[in-house]
Parts: sequence; C-alpha cells; structure tokens
Amino acid sequence: MKRLLAVFSVFLFLLLSLPVHAGVPMDTVQANVDKVIEVLRDPKLKAESAKETKKERLRHIYDDMFDQVELSRRALAQNWNKLNLAQREEFVNLFRQMLEKTYIDQILAYVDEKVVFDREVQLSGTQTEIQTIVVTSSKKIPVFYRVILKGGGWKVYDVVIENVSMVSNYRTQFNDILAKNTPEQMLEILRKKVKGQ
Amino acid sequence: MKVLSEKQIRDPYTMKWFRHSVLLLFLLIQGFGCAHGPHSGSSSASSGGPPPYEEVVVASSPDPIPPDSPAVSPESEGGKTDNVSDSPAPLASPEIPSNSDNMNLDYVEEEKAPEKADIADPLEPFNRAMYNFNDKLYFWVLKPVARGYGKVVPEVARIGVRNFFSNIASPIRIVNCVLQAKFVGAVKELGRFAINTVWGIGGLMDLASDNAVNLPKQDADFGQTLGVYGLGQGFYIHWPILGPSSPRDTVGMIGDAFLHPFTYFNETRVLYVWIGIKVVETVNTTSLSIGDYESLKDAAVDPYVAFRDAYVQYRLNKVKTGGGKPAPSGTGGAISPAITEVRPSGSTEDEE
Repeated sequence: MKRLLAVFSVFLFLLLSLPVHAGVPMDTVQANVDKVIEVLRDPKLKAESAKETKKERLRHIYDDMFDQVELSRRALAQNWNKLNLAQREEFVNLFRQMLEKTYIDQILAYVDEKVVFDREVQLSGTQTEIQTIVVTSSKKIPVFYRVILKGGGWKVYDVVIENVSMVSNYRTQFNDILAKNTPEQMLEILRKKVKGQ
Repeated sequence: MKVLSEKQIRDPYTMKWFRHSVLLLFLLIQGFGCAHGPHSGSSSASSGGPPPYEEVVVASSPDPIPPDSPAVSPESEGGKTDNVSDSPAPLASPEIPSNSDNMNLDYVEEEKAPEKADIADPLEPFNRAMYNFNDKLYFWVLKPVARGYGKVVPEVARIGVRNFFSNIASPIRIVNCVLQAKFVGAVKELGRFAINTVWGIGGLMDLASDNAVNLPKQDADFGQTLGVYGLGQGFYIHWPILGPSSPRDTVGMIGDAFLHPFTYFNETRVLYVWIGIKVVETVNTTSLSIGDYESLKDAAVDPYVAFRDAYVQYRLNKVKTGGGKPAPSGTGGAISPAITEVRPSGSTEDEE
C-alpha cells in the first residue's frame, strides 16, 4: 500500500510538475534561518576582525533566500512596467544592496532571540506564508515570510513584521517618489542611498 | 484512446472513467504547455514546469518570449542608457535571454491582491516638518534619556514597569472590547486584570500571558472601535511628540485617556496626569527597544513615507483582525501547525 502510494505520488509529481507539499516552504525558510544561526555561532567568526567574512557569508544566505527580482517587481508594482530593462536591472541591483545591508545589520544586532516557527498558511498554489515569532527577552514579534515557488525552489518575496508588509511599505515609498520624479531620478536617489550606507 | 460505444458511455462507471481520462489528458496537455514557459528554457522536464503564477504573467504579457530566443549578454543590455521618461520601452523584445531572471516580465496585479492601505495626506508639509521635529526629539532627548534610564534600571524591572502600565490600562481594553461586541475578549481581559493584579504583584508580572494560563492581551482601543464601526482614518496627521495619527485615532486617543484609571480621581487634571503617564511609559518602552527606530529609518528610502505607511498598515490590520491573532492574508487554512524552535547561540553576540 505504501509503495503504491509512493509510486502514485511520484507519478503525480511528474504529471503535474507542481511539487507542492505541506511543509516544504517552511523547511526551506527554516534551513536558511539555521544557516544564519550557524554563521552567528561559528567560533571562528567571533573576532571583530572576522566581521567582514561574517557579512559576506550572510550576504550569500540572503541571496539564496530572497527572490530579489520578484521582490523588486512587487515593490514597484505598476511602476515596474515603466522601467526599461536596463533600469530594471539597475533597480534590482541597488534594491538588493540596500536590503542586504538592512537585513545583515538587523541580524548582527541579534542577541538572544529565539525563532519559533509557528505555521504555514497557503496563499495560493505557489505562494505560502511562513509565520514565525521572534521571541526576545522583552517581547514577541510576529515575523511572516511570504515565499513563492520558482524554478523548483521556494524564495522569499515579502517579509511581514508586526503585520506591516515590507513590500507594501516600499511600494508606497516608490510610488510617492515616482509621482514627483522620473525613474532615472529615483535610481539616482537609490544610488546615493546605497553609497551613503 | 479506446473507442467507446454508445452503451458504454451511458454506463455510469464508464462515464466516470471517461471523464477522468479526459481530465488527465487535459492536465497532461497543461503540463506540457507549462514546460514552454520562459523559465524552464532548455532544462529537462524533471525540473518541473514553472508555477502557474508565471504562466499568468506570460499569458497577460503583450509579447511572450519564446524560450529559444537568441541570447544577448546582460552586460550589453546594462550598458545601454535609454532616455528615462520615455513611455514603456520595448521591454519584451525577443532578444532578452531566457535566463535573465524574469527581469523582462511585467508586473501584473494579483487577483487576490490585499486591500490597499492608503491614506490621504493633505497636510504633508506640516506632517513632514513634525516628523523631522520628532526625529530630532528622539535622537537628542528621548534616546539619551532612555539609554541613561536603561543603564540605571535593570531590564527585568523595566519589563515589570511595562507590564504595570499595560495592566493598569486594562479598563481601556475591556470597555473597547465590549464596544466592539467582543464579549469573550472582554471577559479574557477582565480575567487577565484579576490574575495579574492579584498574583502578578499589582501587574508587575504578566502571568496571564504564560502558556499555562494562556490569556493573551486583547489589544483594543477606541480608535480601533471607531474603525470597527466603519469610520475611516480620514487623513494622516503626524503630531509633534505623539507621532503618527489621524482624526479618527486622535479622537480615539482622547477617549482612551478618559478611560485610564489614573485620570479617574482627578477629572480636572486629566491632561496633566495623562501626559505624566505617557512620558514615563514612553521612556520605559523606548529603553526596551532602542535601535528599532534607527533600523527602520535606515531601511527606508523616504523615512517619512515609510513610517506613515507602516502606521496605516498596522492600524488597518488592527481594525480588520480586531487586534487578535493576525488574519492569514490568503484564503487557505493552515497546513501544518508544527511548532519548531530554533535557538541561536545562548549568550554570545554581545555588542557592548
């Protein structure tokens, strides 16, 4: 019976080409969070001099974990369609640098938090929300990762912290900027921001 | 496929089989159709077709790209600097390499797009000035004071102070729960108040939130009550000192001030007492979250808009979910309620 079930599921897998299983998205996010903790725990990276190596490793995890193009497209929404390919590429690149910086700084400020993986909520066939709670010594912060299935892997395209969606937040900001500026001027603002960091 | 006679078709079992095979065939065709998306390119079928989301995008994009289009190196594309304010450039040109990370796909609104959290901001110049004022106030006054206070008072005590203020404000939450017809919430909050006041040493300890008792705080305020009644935010106001608000939430704040027990005994001095409470509470809260404001500000392109949007999203969610557990943004239910814990390094990573 078990084998039949296995054969059947493999068959279904091949047939539908939609590897959606309960738990896989959460496992993916959790694996990445584990990797982050591993970097923070690594005794070889304890020294102040190893900070750059540590950042480099974290940057690597970030790139693995996030779908930067999806994130950028959603952050710009309708405005994305007004950018030409070169502008899109530059935007994705600048936005990535900005978020990497934010994300890494946030993680390095990580002291004694505990991450509780609460549950998975399916948003659509290819989108899932992983609800986690970051427990610090003084408070509990709900942090939800929204992941999308792409090319066989689950990638984060939005992070919702205390019910505030990061992508929506950036969308409002870019909308506001693009209401008064051209895409090129917006890119210039971003260039300055990344340089100033 | 087997040819079916009329009799067989009429037979209910055969009908079922027939329908199933048609369905399977349909799915198969769909599966193959998927494999032609721009994402899979020349990769083998075992890697799986692209998810439906992309399919939708491709279908609605005006000029779908064939997977075997001639490749162009991204460098040559990146080097181009087109005129900026031009109308949409020829984005979906066939020269785009199929592995360009979907950069060429247009944005398409999702069907189940979440409710837009938007707010009118007719007072923007005033609000921006007030935001800048508060920003300076934070860095020049609040942060140094909270830091000093945090150095003197140990964290456990500060958490106790926070719990005390939270507990004493319980009547606000009870009344608003009742006003929002959340009677279970009101009873829970009443239970919390009793437990924490009696067993938690006058509210210094939040025993009710412990897993054993499991009576979490019922976030309810008058601004939220008005929202539940259907009143919108109106427009954005960034008050000096008090920060992000709106006409609705300002009325809410005043209403809640009158419900605060400290103001009961001294009706003529409601304002002063309330200010006093707020100052102590704010310094205490800030001491427990130094760095939060800074990192949010650093992450923003336009901090003023970022905080405005965060406030609007946060308040909208409070009204929608009634301050309880955040509602799942999709329609589907929870798949796996498994709880896993990840503990980072114990007492490492001390920055100071």
